[in-house]
Amino acid sequence: MDSSREEQLLTIGQAAEYLGVSLNTLRRWDENGKLAAIKKGGGTHRHYREKDLEIFASDLMKFASEWIQSGTEFPGTFYCPTSSIFNARLTKMEMMLMQKPGFEKLYSLITLITGEIGDNSFAHNLGKWPDTSGIFFGYDLDKRIIVLADRGLGILETLRQVRPELSNHVEAVKVAFTEFISGRAPEKRGNGLKVVREVIIEQPFSLFFTSGDAEVRIKNPDKKFNVVRGQRIVRGCLAKIEF
Amino acid sequence: MKLQLEKFGKTLISRELGSEALKAFQITLRELPKDEDLEVDFSGILTLSPSWADEFLSPLLNQLGEHLILLSSDNLSVHATLRILQEANRQSFKMK
Repeated sequence: MDSSREEQLLTIGQAAEYLGVSLNTLRRWDENGKLAAIKKGGGTHRHYREKDLEIFASDLMKFASEWIQSGTEFPGTFYCPTSSIFNARLTKMEMMLMQKPGFEKLYSLITLITGEIGDNSFAHNLGKWPDTSGIFFGYDLDKRIIVLADRGLGILETLRQVRPELSNHVEAVKVAFTEFISGRAPEKRGNGLKVVREVIIEQPFSLFFTSGDAEVRIKNPDKKFNVVRGQRIVRGCLAKIEF
Repeated sequence: MKLQLEKFGKTLISRELGSEALKAFQITLRELPKDEDLEVDFSGILTLSPSWADEFLSPLLNQLGEHLILLSSDNLSVHATLRILQEANRQSFKMK
């Protein structure tokens, strides 16, 4: 075997640390083919190429959508169990964005929309998470993509607390993005998604957002805000921001 | 009285922390003479979100009215946030 390639192999322990998952998860992923390990010389010890792990961890939308759809485990590096962990990771992203050429001013708007979507998940599900609390938050600044997701109540159930007449996901998502309304009445809340819509329309950003079977796409060239009924129903919310 | 908002942090995002910041600031605010303005300075702020600001600036606007003055800023998130808050509150901030 090529010795330089051999040098790059990580042990299962190092791979677990790299992805932020347990050894058992890696063994299971190897067995079910989700992430195949390399077994040197017919041995039983599992090894991994760093490059393979990097590629595996780069499919942010796949991890996020599988998680909200069926609770599939994802690399722990993307998991924010609490709002304070989300804020810390968001601040780190903000610092990296500030240093990215062309984003010296825009960084604050990208941080704002990311922060609003993530904070919404925590604010509206506080003490009410149906199963797993916390959010998925992953980004790839080279590919210019940010993905956020939660397994919370979703927009319809949240807004029904103040607008019981809302009958479907499309209607609820439309209200959330366009009207000043709060899911936590009588407190005056809920400007988050309105500002997200305004910023995405005005700036060179695009958005895909889904909750229940409602889907929002705001992208070039017309940047028109439209909510449609999609093919499948997702748990909670999922958002992809491209910039 | 001038308030350097960055004393509460440079990245002001969550509702929870906006609400905490307001509680902490109320103690200082008690020292503000009745007819004196409170000037809010955004310099040093990297990102200000509507959620944080709605918990902090909206109640201050109700409390101080004309005596709340916001100093101008060239930060894009500050602009976007103030615009949406004014729209949501149907009330304008006094700017300087």
